[in-house]
Amino acid sequence: MKFSTYIFIFLMFFSVFSCSDDVCNEETESTLNLVFVVNDASLTDIGFIDNLSIYSPEWTDSIHFLDENESGGTVLGFMLSPYSDTSEIIVTSKNATEKDTLIILTQREQIFLSKECGFITDFLIDTVLFTLNYIDSIEINKDEITTAKNGEIQLYF
Amino acid sequence: MVRFSYIFSLSLLLFFSIYSYGQDKDSLYAPIKEKEPLVLNGMKVGINIGRFSDYLFKPERTSYEASFDFNLSNKYFGVIEGGLSETNIKKDNYQYSSEGTFVKAGVDFNMLKKYPSDYFGIGVRLGRAAFKHSATKLTYENIHWPTQSLSIDSKSYTTYWLEVSLGIKGELLKNVYFGWSALVRVGISGRKDEQFQPYNIPGFGKGTNAINLGANYYIYYQIPFNKNK
Repeated sequence: MKFSTYIFIFLMFFSVFSCSDDVCNEETESTLNLVFVVNDASLTDIGFIDNLSIYSPEWTDSIHFLDENESGGTVLGFMLSPYSDTSEIIVTSKNATEKDTLIILTQREQIFLSKECGFITDFLIDTVLFTLNYIDSIEINKDEITTAKNGEIQLYF
Repeated sequence: MVRFSYIFSLSLLLFFSIYSYGQDKDSLYAPIKEKEPLVLNGMKVGINIGRFSDYLFKPERTSYEASFDFNLSNKYFGVIEGGLSETNIKKDNYQYSSEGTFVKAGVDFNMLKKYPSDYFGIGVRLGRAAFKHSATKLTYENIHWPTQSLSIDSKSYTTYWLEVSLGIKGELLKNVYFGWSALVRVGISGRKDEQFQPYNIPGFGKGTNAINLGANYYIYYQIPFNKNK
């Protein structure tokens, strides 16, 4: 057999044509988890966690606490603003008289994931500014937020 | 003086007698191989026909790639490859465009001995791409954040990578070759951007990958230089 014949045989095995159904099958949202830890007995008495909700002034809705997560903690997850390096989040509870505000400052990276999915945004948390009405302190546990890795900020009340 | 000449002649005779005695006729000898000088046998001009599959499978992309190689004794090939690439995508939630050129230079080493006019071997290249990209009408679907439109200004990049290939080339017609190669490309620098990550780097592939795999399908025409071969 001629050498050139081998070429075509190899070519047959080697030819891979990609097909696309034009549907995005990949994760496109990157999530920041807020973990709430309440040590103040007065907040526990008013059911602060059971009536907890967060929202942004830019949102038309809010996220409400439903149940504890598997590890027994209170976690609310959401995506930071893909349009701005600053996301403002209000923390409130039904029976609480005050609200707390978090201003999360980030660096954003726009990544063109694929033709089907378009762009995704990864975040790196620079700093978090917060009010001290009920919040005692915060910790940034995971500052990188990608579609594969959730970010995490722990709030102590 | 006559005595001195006699002793000298005798010594020479003794020396050659011992020397010829040491040459055992049963010993094995190999002919001394003279290193053949490298001869310029021709130059190949090629075009990557694999790129034309983009018309069918990646209509948003237009790319061309050509190759020039210098054949040294059918063993070593100095290779220069270059091309250009353009991507234009218009979707409901974004518009993306990029354009740029690339050039690769390196060496192929032919491991074949049985088919001196054909090639099966490995190659190494250093690649460089210069390109720019931008995005407009960028929107995200999110249940909380109201939809806005973003634009990302055009940004320019220079990327370097190392490429290793394993491939074959065969002479189909007189001086016309066809070949393909499997490629591994390893990014060296200029591949990342913290704000706007490049999608497709001309000649290298997906910008988010540090290592890209690929394949080339080439048709070449060999311009013969050494007519005695």
